[in-house]
Amino acid sequence: MARTESGARSERRALIGRMARAALTKGAGAIGAAVIAVLLMLAGTASAATPSPADQNCLICHGTPGLEKPLTDGETLSLHIEGDHFADSVHAPLGCTGCHSGVNLASHPPANNPIVDRRAFSIAMVQVCQTCHADKFEQWGKSVHAALVKDGNPNAPICTNCHSPHTMIKGAAASVATVPCKTCHSVIFTAYTTSVHGVLRNGGLAAAPLCFDCHGAHDVAVPSAGVGRRDVCLGCHTEAMASHLTWLPNVQLHFDVVSCPVCHTPNAQRVVNLILYNNSTQKEVSQPEGIPRFELKNGTPTGLPGLDPTTLMTLLTALNGQGIKGETNVRGRLDVRTGVEDHQLTFATKAISDCDTCHRQGATAFQSVEVSVAGPAGIPIHYGADKDVLSSVFSIDSVGGFYAIGGSRVTFFDVLLFLALLGGFAWPIAHLIVRWVVGRYLDLTIPHEPR
Amino acid sequence: MHRIYLHPLPVRIWHWINAATCVMLLLTGVQLRYVGLINVVSFRTAVTIHNYLGFILIANFFLWLGYYLCSPRIRSYHTELNPRKFFDGALSQTLYYTYGIFKRAPEPFHPSVYNKFNPLQAMTYQVIMFMVLPIQIITGLLLWHLVGFSRIVALLGGVRVIDTVHVLIFIFFVFFIPAHFYLGTLGRRPITHFKEMFTGYEEEPVEKDHANAPE
Repeated sequence: MARTESGARSERRALIGRMARAALTKGAGAIGAAVIAVLLMLAGTASAATPSPADQNCLICHGTPGLEKPLTDGETLSLHIEGDHFADSVHAPLGCTGCHSGVNLASHPPANNPIVDRRAFSIAMVQVCQTCHADKFEQWGKSVHAALVKDGNPNAPICTNCHSPHTMIKGAAASVATVPCKTCHSVIFTAYTTSVHGVLRNGGLAAAPLCFDCHGAHDVAVPSAGVGRRDVCLGCHTEAMASHLTWLPNVQLHFDVVSCPVCHTPNAQRVVNLILYNNSTQKEVSQPEGIPRFELKNGTPTGLPGLDPTTLMTLLTALNGQGIKGETNVRGRLDVRTGVEDHQLTFATKAISDCDTCHRQGATAFQSVEVSVAGPAGIPIHYGADKDVLSSVFSIDSVGGFYAIGGSRVTFFDVLLFLALLGGFAWPIAHLIVRWVVGRYLDLTIPHEPR
Repeated sequence: MHRIYLHPLPVRIWHWINAATCVMLLLTGVQLRYVGLINVVSFRTAVTIHNYLGFILIANFFLWLGYYLCSPRIRSYHTELNPRKFFDGALSQTLYYTYGIFKRAPEPFHPSVYNKFNPLQAMTYQVIMFMVLPIQIITGLLLWHLVGFSRIVALLGGVRVIDTVHVLIFIFFVFFIPAHFYLGTLGRRPITHFKEMFTGYEEEPVEKDHANAPE
């Protein structure tokens, strides 16, 4: 990405300012901040394409291709830095010691300073990022990525997984070609590129969203939680509510219960997501302990024979405990089954607008049902459920929070309706026939006395 | 014969609007519930019609309520507090429908301006007008705007519970309306009671020993 020299200078000035402010915030004191600022300004005078003399000292060794350090776990850590790339990066003004401040001649090279593994080293090193990027670091700390890191997930990203610190260029994370999300979420990213958003973005429409526009760049939240996804969509599509009002009955309800991709990804496989919800805490119920059904099915994929209506009823009774009614209940949502389908959004003209798609018996939307609870980091864990939980008379109370006319009707009432219809017509007809037969063939008439 | 003005104009207007809206509500309700099996109108059209009809029914209910609250004729809807009297009347009416009518026995009940329903009718209409229909109206309103009434809906057990009550009453009316129509044909002639609901007048034979002599 080309940059002008004046642009580079202004970025450097901004970076210097941020460093100084961060130092002040952290209590380093005005003198410390001034020293850092002066050092950075000196570093900033270096050419954008040439490493500073101080950095060139480091590059004597670290500029050597293939330089690496064996780690305790048997792996190796590459120590090679492309000097030119670093010189072009936004971090060049900081110089090597801006981040690697602990390095000194006495301890370097750290032959006696073993590194256990690459991941642990990276996690330790990224702490330095918050010196300048405190706000971003704080946002990341609340993200699903940070929660997964804390949970020990070896693939959860830390700063350096998305932002290569030695080659970081301003705006590198903000283009379709280089957005780092696709490194891990490649399948979803491929789906995105074929979606209306991806097509428009690739076509040059800068307003079309890229990953971080919907998910956040650092404060990445669990995307499938509640109505969060709808709110993200409405963030840009501010006219959506009004435009749906012109043709869709109960718009607010649909917006609350039906995820946008359910209609806007017409070929997606839909699924009813019954979320166990605690009314007291106003949060999704975490993985229930002591419920055999959940322990047995922990981690199994959805689609297997799952919770049947009576088991779900028993489960809710168990979760609520004796004498507590409705503290834990079920909130239903209509979602698409996979994250890939979530990203295959199509043009509005191709979206589903036919009510019958869902509001009919046997609608595909109601053939897949899952019960979900909040797992680690708030990421929902889904358990397969029998589709009969939507139509069983035993679910009237337990699945009280979800109902779609026609699509998830209680089949027992179909029988009742048939009997009522039969009875409503049968007994008058029978009565009429008896009256006619008796009147015609049996003379039961009471003789009246003449008045 | 002696003519009694049993059904004043507001009551007749209410009755026929009520009859028409109830039947249409049942039909659109069936359409809503059985899209795919029945496809007379689209789901969206059925929803729209059902909603408008619901509001007509509500307005009509208040016409009925308003009239009777301002009229001494409301005594027809008073509950018979004497259990013995009620039981005797209900039994005698039941025996008439299940046996007496076949041998053309005289009707045991004779209406008057302030007591126009036989004991079975009185019980049924009290339950319908003061319990069943209001519940159906309330559940219908809740289902019409679930988001706006979300707190009440949650308090009552959720949308599925509300819908269940609404559907059970719908099923009751599916049974009741054909039966109500048939019972309407059991006058002196099949159209007698229907005619009365247009003219307002009922013709009663004059007998000396009526227990319920018309006023």
